[in-house]
Amino acid sequence: MSDLPPTGPAPLDVRPVKQRIWRRLSLVWLVPVIALSVSLWAAWQNYQDRGTLIVISFENASGVAAGETAIKYRDVTVGEVERVEFAEGLTDVLVHARIDKTVAPYLDDDAQFWVVRPDVSVRGITGLDTVLSGVYIEGNWDTDADVAQYEFTGFERPVLTLAGQRGTHVVLRTKDGSSVSAGAPVLHKGIQVGYLETPELSANGSEVIVSAFIERPYDRRITTSTRFWDTSGFSVSFGASGVSLDVNSIASLIEGGIAFDTIVSGGDPIRDGQVFDIFLDEQTARDSLFTDPNAEALKVAVLFEQSVSGLAIGSEVRFQGIRVGEVDELSAIVVGEGPTAEVRLQAVLAIEPARLGMSAGSTLDDAMTLLSDFVGRGLRARMVTGNILSGSLVVELVQIDDALPAIMNLTSGLYPVIPTTESQISDVAATAEGVLARINALPVEELMDGAIDMMDSIERLASDDYTRSAPEALVGLLDDTRTLVVSEDAQAIPSDLRQVINELNAVVASVNEANLVSDFDAAIETASVAAANIEAATQNLPQITAEIEALLAKANSLEFEALVASATQTLNSIDALVGSEDAADLPGTLNAALDQMRGFLAEVREGGAVENVNAALASANEAAQAVEEAVSGLPELSARASRLVAQTEAVIASYGERSRFGAETLATLRDIQAAADAVSALSRAIQRNPNSLLTGR
Amino acid sequence: MGSSGTVSGLITARQAGLVACQRCGQVHRQDVQICKRCDGPLRSRDAESLQKVWAWLIAGMIAYVPANLYPMLRTSTLVERSESTIIGGVVELIEYGSFGVAFIVFAASVMIPIGKFVAIMYLAISVQRHSESNRHGRHKAYEVVEFIGRWSMIDVFVVAILSALVQLDTIATINPGIAAVSFALSVIFTMLAAQSFDSRLIWDVDRTTA
Repeated sequence: MSDLPPTGPAPLDVRPVKQRIWRRLSLVWLVPVIALSVSLWAAWQNYQDRGTLIVISFENASGVAAGETAIKYRDVTVGEVERVEFAEGLTDVLVHARIDKTVAPYLDDDAQFWVVRPDVSVRGITGLDTVLSGVYIEGNWDTDADVAQYEFTGFERPVLTLAGQRGTHVVLRTKDGSSVSAGAPVLHKGIQVGYLETPELSANGSEVIVSAFIERPYDRRITTSTRFWDTSGFSVSFGASGVSLDVNSIASLIEGGIAFDTIVSGGDPIRDGQVFDIFLDEQTARDSLFTDPNAEALKVAVLFEQSVSGLAIGSEVRFQGIRVGEVDELSAIVVGEGPTAEVRLQAVLAIEPARLGMSAGSTLDDAMTLLSDFVGRGLRARMVTGNILSGSLVVELVQIDDALPAIMNLTSGLYPVIPTTESQISDVAATAEGVLARINALPVEELMDGAIDMMDSIERLASDDYTRSAPEALVGLLDDTRTLVVSEDAQAIPSDLRQVINELNAVVASVNEANLVSDFDAAIETASVAAANIEAATQNLPQITAEIEALLAKANSLEFEALVASATQTLNSIDALVGSEDAADLPGTLNAALDQMRGFLAEVREGGAVENVNAALASANEAAQAVEEAVSGLPELSARASRLVAQTEAVIASYGERSRFGAETLATLRDIQAAADAVSALSRAIQRNPNSLLTGR
Repeated sequence: MGSSGTVSGLITARQAGLVACQRCGQVHRQDVQICKRCDGPLRSRDAESLQKVWAWLIAGMIAYVPANLYPMLRTSTLVERSESTIIGGVVELIEYGSFGVAFIVFAASVMIPIGKFVAIMYLAISVQRHSESNRHGRHKAYEVVEFIGRWSMIDVFVVAILSALVQLDTIATINPGIAAVSFALSVIFTMLAAQSFDSRLIWDVDRTTA
């Protein structure tokens, strides 16, 4: 700039020209204007789109989070939770939510809300998607827009009956709520036609009341004569026809279920909210058809002196074998005062007059009069075994002809008292034990000892040197005889040979007379008979077990001791016979006889006095055969004895097996029961808190 | 330059009746309209500069509002779905204990844009009012605004990169929210505002105050 001449361009007037403000306005201003208008428009739009604010109160809003939890209607998101807070006094959790404006008008007084969580039950798994996405609130309302509401009370559990679903609600009563749970199926002829809602205790706490929803058109099957019964679990019954196992669907097995049927026609149609009782099982339900379940029962008390274990509430009361009522109450009461006071067990019986054959119009008083009349004529109550295996008892009203006179005590105590008579409780366990004890006490060991002794004696006899040397001596005799026969002197048999032969015959005859062989046979026969007897007794045992009642009588009458004693005796006599000196001496005598004969034959040979060789040979042969027969009987004897021992062993073994079989059967049944209990407990735990499956708590 | 005393001895090109080309630096006479060298338009002073600055600045500030109200990132994974605004993200990072990252995000997304707004406003106001204080500071502020402007885009780039990388369908997805667009617009607008500022106006103020 220093190069510029000082006379350079004159300084310019740099004052900007004043322009009108609109002319000067830059186009760039459009940008913020547009930005502003877009922002404002977006904000307005946002505000406009905001849904209607509703408030739902829950007892427990587990998993519900502001800004995250969606509100869904038929699985379509229609809103979002905006705020979660407590109501005043921390009574409820208030969930503030925005609902789409298009849906809001339909939220009228029939709208229901509940929180959907994962739920694992035997009917399946629901809400599994919420495991990942978090819980959501499901709403349910009908399609009629009524007076819109903005405050609702949420349900803790999913509502089972969706708005608009058609059907009938019935109210079911039961004394035991353990077999009913929300959502359990209601079955009709095995098909699910409805479900139970949440069971509740009745106001006085004595009953459980559960509402059941029966879908249309099945609800038309229900009349006032319909009976509902509990189908949960499985039942095992022992009867004359064997074991019967009755299992329902797995769902009802674990979760419980109710079935109904209308067996007789003529019932009146029902309305919403009709009350029904739940019967224990189908049989009870069907039985109840013939009596009015609401008819009042005649209550009488029975005082038992002995234990009533086995008697339970609901046990049958029979009159001449027919069920007329049930045990309603069991308690202990004190009878008398001061030192004479004693505790009696009181069973209160609920007797249905109609089952006693009284006409429908008769009153309780009439029934009482009838009953006290019967008592005057010898009616007594007693406990009898209802089921041999389970040991359960029933109360039986029986007519005792020679009963001591008694009257019904109508005045003292709460209930009239029926006098009792001796109870007939057959305790199978005890009697079976007694039978086993008796078997145990049988002198089996003595029998065995006797048998062993006998075997020993026989062995001793057989192994006796004399016995063994008898064949040798015989061979020697035959050799000698042969020598004699072929000798030259044989041709000249002396005349007195016949006499010798006769003597020989006499010897042989005396051997025969000694009846050794037949004695043996007889002894063996006796032992064999004893064995057969024992065997027969053993064969009777399965039959005895099958008919336990018969077993008692038969087992008692079996003369086991006598039988075994006689067997022992037999064996002892065999032993005595075999071990007797006579028997032991027998081989010796035989040998001596043979020796004598040999000497005699030698003499004969020497004397050359043989008269009838053929006769002598025949006789000698006969003698030899008799001896051989005697000897050959020995193995048979030992075989029979060993068979006898084996049979005895089998008898004893069969007892052992039988008792183990019983024990094992019992143990198996108990195992099954324990397993069923465990499954049941597990399922209930899961059902009460399905989350536990996921959370592990 | 420093004190007003030394400045008073100088004259500007405009005072000398000259005008320099903004692009190539060729000096022309005042009355020349088109640069002889580069054919660019010649203007001694941009009369609409301040208007433009204000307009862009206001647009940038308007855009900055939704950028803070709406979510910047929409993160949806298998288990949850979250939307985080800028401030929400910073708070979350602090809760997790990542103070460093939180500071960077806070600086880039909050401090720098707001600082820019303030700096540009200060420049524009001071030029308009012919305020005489701290001329050096004004120059410095202008330079800083020019320099730092581009770094404000770092947030937008992060969002863009994340969105491009994390697209694993149902397992994890990151999508830019409305705030990302607003924020980008806000940054662009403020950069334009800074650009529109004719720095020569500062000299005029210096001159007039001198």
